[in-house]
Amino acid sequence: MDLASPSSAMNVAPRDLVRRLAAQDQSALAEFYDRFAPLVNALALRILRDSSDAEDVVQEVFLQAWRQADRFDPSRGSPEAWLCTIARTRAIDRLRRRSARREQPEESAPPPTGSPRNEEALAVRTAIAGLSEDQRRALELAYYEGLTQTEIAAHLGEPLGTIKTRIRTAMIRLREALGPLPS
Amino acid sequence: MTEDRWLELAPLHALGALDGEDRVGFEAHLSGCLACAAELRAHEAVVALVPLGLQPVRPTLTLRQRVLERQDSKSAVAVAPVAPRRPWATYLAAAAALVLGLGLLVVRWQRDRARVAAAEASAEARRLEAELSVTQRDLAEAAAFRALVQRPGSLVTTLAGLAAAPKARARVVFDPVTREAILVASGLDPAPEGKAYEAWVIAGGAPVPVGMFRPDAQGGAVVRLPRVEATGSARTFAVTLEPEAGTPAPTGPMVLAGAVS
Repeated sequence: MDLASPSSAMNVAPRDLVRRLAAQDQSALAEFYDRFAPLVNALALRILRDSSDAEDVVQEVFLQAWRQADRFDPSRGSPEAWLCTIARTRAIDRLRRRSARREQPEESAPPPTGSPRNEEALAVRTAIAGLSEDQRRALELAYYEGLTQTEIAAHLGEPLGTIKTRIRTAMIRLREALGPLPS
Repeated sequence: MTEDRWLELAPLHALGALDGEDRVGFEAHLSGCLACAAELRAHEAVVALVPLGLQPVRPTLTLRQRVLERQDSKSAVAVAPVAPRRPWATYLAAAAALVLGLGLLVVRWQRDRARVAAAEASAEARRLEAELSVTQRDLAEAAAFRALVQRPGSLVTTLAGLAAAPKARARVVFDPVTREAILVASGLDPAPEGKAYEAWVIAGGAPVPVGMFRPDAQGGAVVRLPRVEATGSARTFAVTLEPEAGTPAPTGPMVLAGAVS
């Protein structure tokens, strides 16, 4: 029988990496970058749809992580979730700054293809795939386009109350599907 | 407004989607309401998970250099000692020494930089080559995987880590009709020398072995299981630790198990 080969040579738990970052250990930054830059880049690209803008955001995110690693609170989630939260904030700020030449919000993107990175990625994909099309669309307009409830209602041509209920329902379903969060 | 009304706004605020009076009202209410603060925090944690399912996209190599070099220069500035004040008489000598020293430093720096760049380039080439084969394998499996996850008849079973591996978790996605199945595990310890993990399908009779694997360095594994008869009526999926040659029946400790609901 053949053995599934390890796909990576990195061998440190992400939380230990963050502790080393907080101690300003340069080699930890390289490992941290190698492990998470592709995910952060994917998120920035999904929001900005421009690879040069996305890479600027990736750079900002890792510099911020380097400077603020001591503020990382493991009780609030994993290091990758922390990086993604920083990345989303920065990418949406940038999206809004260039809003003068902003195109229409993207139509719903196809679900990601390719094997998921890990079990958590699979769980998230499965949870999002379990939402109705309308719920997923509203959630994505809020998450990836940074639109508010009123903007989403206007964009979709639906009543504000409907949109609020839809987003709330989507969030509750995700919360149930993804179960108790790491603490 | 009732408490419930405020609680209902927490998921919207967590997404950053509140605006207008809802936002002003919620933020004012939040400071005095522990229930809403807890609800908001729980939803913020869910929001943070949303992008984790994205398919990673490797940034360019120049970006890696930009990030790491910028960091180098920044900390070099931060740790540079402050020059002590010197009487003017020693200043010229110090300046001359400084010029000479700087010249030597520049030469050395250029030499080191070239050496480091060459070493990095060849390491990078080796790494890319290794990744290429992984990527090709991933691509080949991608279509099958996507089809499996999205197929309406597919089932997902969660496997819990047992006493031998309390931190391990896994899911099996499988189609009882076509008998395709994929195991995605995380939190596994490295297999000891000479051992590997073995997956099993149990469908009423004896456990059927469906493949050996070793987790990657992060303790994760994505394993496409061979199509076996038992998957069609699977009741349980399990993983045990076995001699790496594999065994026809489980002998080692069970690390993961989950019943099909």
